[in-house]
Amino acid sequence: MIEKPMTPNLPETDDELLMRMRSGDEQAFVALYRRRQAAIYRFALHMSGSAAVAEDIAQEVFLALIREQCGYDPERGTLSGYLFGIARKLVLRHVERGRPDVALETDLESSALPELMANGDPLAELIDREGIEALRRSVLALPRRYREVVVLCDLEEVDYGEAALVLGCPIGTVRSRLHRARALLLEKLSQRWHHRPGAIALKPIRCLI
Amino acid sequence: MNCQEFWNTMPELAHEAEDGHFEHVRECSACAALLNRQRTLASGLRMLAADWRSVEAPARVESRLTAAFLGQAGLAVRRPAARWWVPVATWAAAAAAVVALAMFLARDRQVVPAHRTASSRVQLAAVEPPADLEALGDSSDADGDFIPMPNGARIEPNEDLNLVRVEVPRSAMIALGYAVSEDRASESVEAEVVLGPDGLARAVRFLE
Repeated sequence: MIEKPMTPNLPETDDELLMRMRSGDEQAFVALYRRRQAAIYRFALHMSGSAAVAEDIAQEVFLALIREQCGYDPERGTLSGYLFGIARKLVLRHVERGRPDVALETDLESSALPELMANGDPLAELIDREGIEALRRSVLALPRRYREVVVLCDLEEVDYGEAALVLGCPIGTVRSRLHRARALLLEKLSQRWHHRPGAIALKPIRCLI
Repeated sequence: MNCQEFWNTMPELAHEAEDGHFEHVRECSACAALLNRQRTLASGLRMLAADWRSVEAPARVESRLTAAFLGQAGLAVRRPAARWWVPVATWAAAAAAVVALAMFLARDRQVVPAHRTASSRVQLAAVEPPADLEALGDSSDADGDFIPMPNGARIEPNEDLNLVRVEVPRSAMIALGYAVSEDRASESVEAEVVLGPDGLARAVRFLE
């Protein structure tokens, strides 16, 4: 007796769910929402630092998807990237309104690398909850263009190519911003460590080789 | 490779270190230390991501969006139907009322002798037009009271009625018990028709 090969029951793709959703299938919409909402909400929360703003943005992103005239084009990228793109625009709109819970942008992209430091190990505290929270606050304090690339690539694990589509810039720019963002994070974490009571301030040493 | 060249390659973003990277960090303790810090930071970011993995939008967002989706989907289904159905149905109902009245009045155009039959007279006498019909029929040239349509609904007091004046063949009067001579059967006669809120004729009277 020959057994038929079992065909795996693959989950529907985002585009398949979207197609069903557009024909009025409520379950498809709910499935799509549940698959993508958390990442969009976290992105908005990391970017804005406000749960209320993140909730509004998550809702607006999916309302845009519900509307008949949403501009998603599968030829130009993934649905996930499209949703991140809408969320990003809404965050920018929020920033433009001058909300105080978002770090002000500074022009750091053209500046030189920070001094290379070979001091103590302030990052050792990252292993505990306090350290993780300090890291989250440091991410939130990054200028927006660096914060969004860290949130997308490091926290939401979006690949560089898709991040480039979301941000509307070349992949090389994504990489350079991420490189710069991590250097800034190290700097911020080191400053926090140096400002702790009892901490020994170590002078950074430049590598001369 | 010096330090600047080393960091220009963004080694902290590479999944695997290339040979040149290892060579430089073996020679440069400062870069080795910084690369190590970068890797620690990357670990911290992964821990932060894992720590937030369970963070998601409140359940009320899904409820609101589902309601919005159902509203949007419902509108999308109903909208095309609503666009054409309402005016068509309105005009169709009005046309049907007029056609029905005309057909009723025009049917059985057989010229009958002289005067109303006894049975018609008895039937008409038994029907008392409601008081509000009197207010409608104030035409000076009206020929008598309104005659209820045989198959029409009863006119209720305070019902919202419409009065229209039409021209029909004189032979239509025969169906309502009037005597019509054969030589005048083809003439037209004006009539007032009472229409109910449903657009159907309820009563008629001839103006002559």
